[in-house]
Amino acid sequence: MSAELKKALYNISALADLGQEITSVNAFHQKIQAVLYVITGTFLANKGAILFYDKSENRLNTLTQKGFPPADLDRVNPETLMSLGKNRPCLIGDHPGLAIAGAEILAPLWVRDEFIGALILSGKLTASPYSPEELELLNVIANQIAITISNHALFMDLSDKLEENRKLYEEMRLIYHGTLQAFAAAIDAKDAHTKNHSHRVAKYSAAIARELGWSEHDIEGIYVAGYLHDVGKLAISNELLNKVTPFTPEELAEIKKHSTLSHSITSKIKFPWKNVEDMVWHHHERLDGHGYPDALTQDALSDGVRILTLADSFDAMTTQRPYRKKMDVQTALGELRKCLNSQFDNHIMLVFCRVLDKEIKGDLPAPEILPHLDRASDLSVISSMLEGIIAELSRS
Amino acid sequence: MKSVQFSVTSRLAGDAAVIYPKGYLNSLSGESLVNECGIYIGKGITKIVVNFSETGLINSIGISLLLQIIEDLRNIEGTICCTNMSKFLQDTFEMLGLIQHMQVFPGESDALKYLNAKTV
Repeated sequence: MSAELKKALYNISALADLGQEITSVNAFHQKIQAVLYVITGTFLANKGAILFYDKSENRLNTLTQKGFPPADLDRVNPETLMSLGKNRPCLIGDHPGLAIAGAEILAPLWVRDEFIGALILSGKLTASPYSPEELELLNVIANQIAITISNHALFMDLSDKLEENRKLYEEMRLIYHGTLQAFAAAIDAKDAHTKNHSHRVAKYSAAIARELGWSEHDIEGIYVAGYLHDVGKLAISNELLNKVTPFTPEELAEIKKHSTLSHSITSKIKFPWKNVEDMVWHHHERLDGHGYPDALTQDALSDGVRILTLADSFDAMTTQRPYRKKMDVQTALGELRKCLNSQFDNHIMLVFCRVLDKEIKGDLPAPEILPHLDRASDLSVISSMLEGIIAELSRS
Repeated sequence: MKSVQFSVTSRLAGDAAVIYPKGYLNSLSGESLVNECGIYIGKGITKIVVNFSETGLINSIGISLLLQIIEDLRNIEGTICCTNMSKFLQDTFEMLGLIQHMQVFPGESDALKYLNAKTV
């Protein structure tokens, strides 16, 4: 085999090495370093560098290099390189703008009309000049490297934008929740006896939904519904809401309007979560069809509505109201139990008891119900009661 | 075919270091060969024998790494001897012109004899 043929085969195999490195799963820096090794190994160049053009800073950054003085590479002026041919290797010679000790040949890297950077090589170990065939090969290699670097830059740019959007979304989410909380505080402030009621209902509902295995997105949805379920009370007079004596039938009818009003308000908001308006609208419905505003029965009540109904009632029972004293947790649990099948859903009650029991036993890292219960509660008594209810409901 | 992970061992033989690369010299893992030589050069050793008996293949990356060793030794006026080379390795080094920058011997003992005589 002639020497020329052997060299041609070696160059072809070097191109294959280049392809393998470019398409490898290695991290970009490793990839580009291996690419430089392929090039210096192909041309027997002792020194080499791949520079990347940072458009925003209008400067060249060294991606990888071996053998050149770093300060010389830092001094390379991008405008000088841009004036040279696209991806065409050229001899540096005594070019005034390219004073890099030991550098002999340079290929400006371009993808279409975009300047990407440069590939710089020293002379060969053998001290022989670069042949026209080698310059041709270097041109092919320069095209490949330019595309690789450009693709990486695009990917990094997209990743940065994605991260920026993610942060922006997170900020907006926080602002959204902050607004909801302020809104809920305004609702609860109308009624001196329901301070933080919306906040607790949101927390209890989310805890039940989480125990039921809902997705984080859906949990956030019921959390929002919990915050807004009484928003319609903003349209009810303070006098009526804070009335100490029993309501007249007319007054009761007026109070009952709040869930429909809540629906009217929330239906104007385009929530990213499904069924928020439905949960808000029907949180006073009952399984037996004696609830309001639509007297819906079992099949028409979604799990979300069933959860919110139970959470709302439990909190109402365990907090002080103008017309009655607050119940202790055991009494409230007994009341919920009495109303199973007629008002509350068996399975939701079972899940609620399970999650509260887990919180009492310290099985959940971030309890959501327990912190809001009366501190004087005897937790061991509550726990054994919960165990009884869980056993009973698990059998049925 | 499962490729062997590239590795390097070495020993000191008088005032020369003998390096034993093992596996296909075709990736950045081959930098361990340069590093191993660098350790001896750092200790003042100027004679290095690379025994290629367990490295039959090399690609452009491997050539680049070998260039680095040649360059490092050239800077301290040292000598690199390559031994036990496969026909592929020998042909490749000849074709590239690398052979003029190294001493080639059939076996490790031949190289050590040469280096020993060089001292005397």
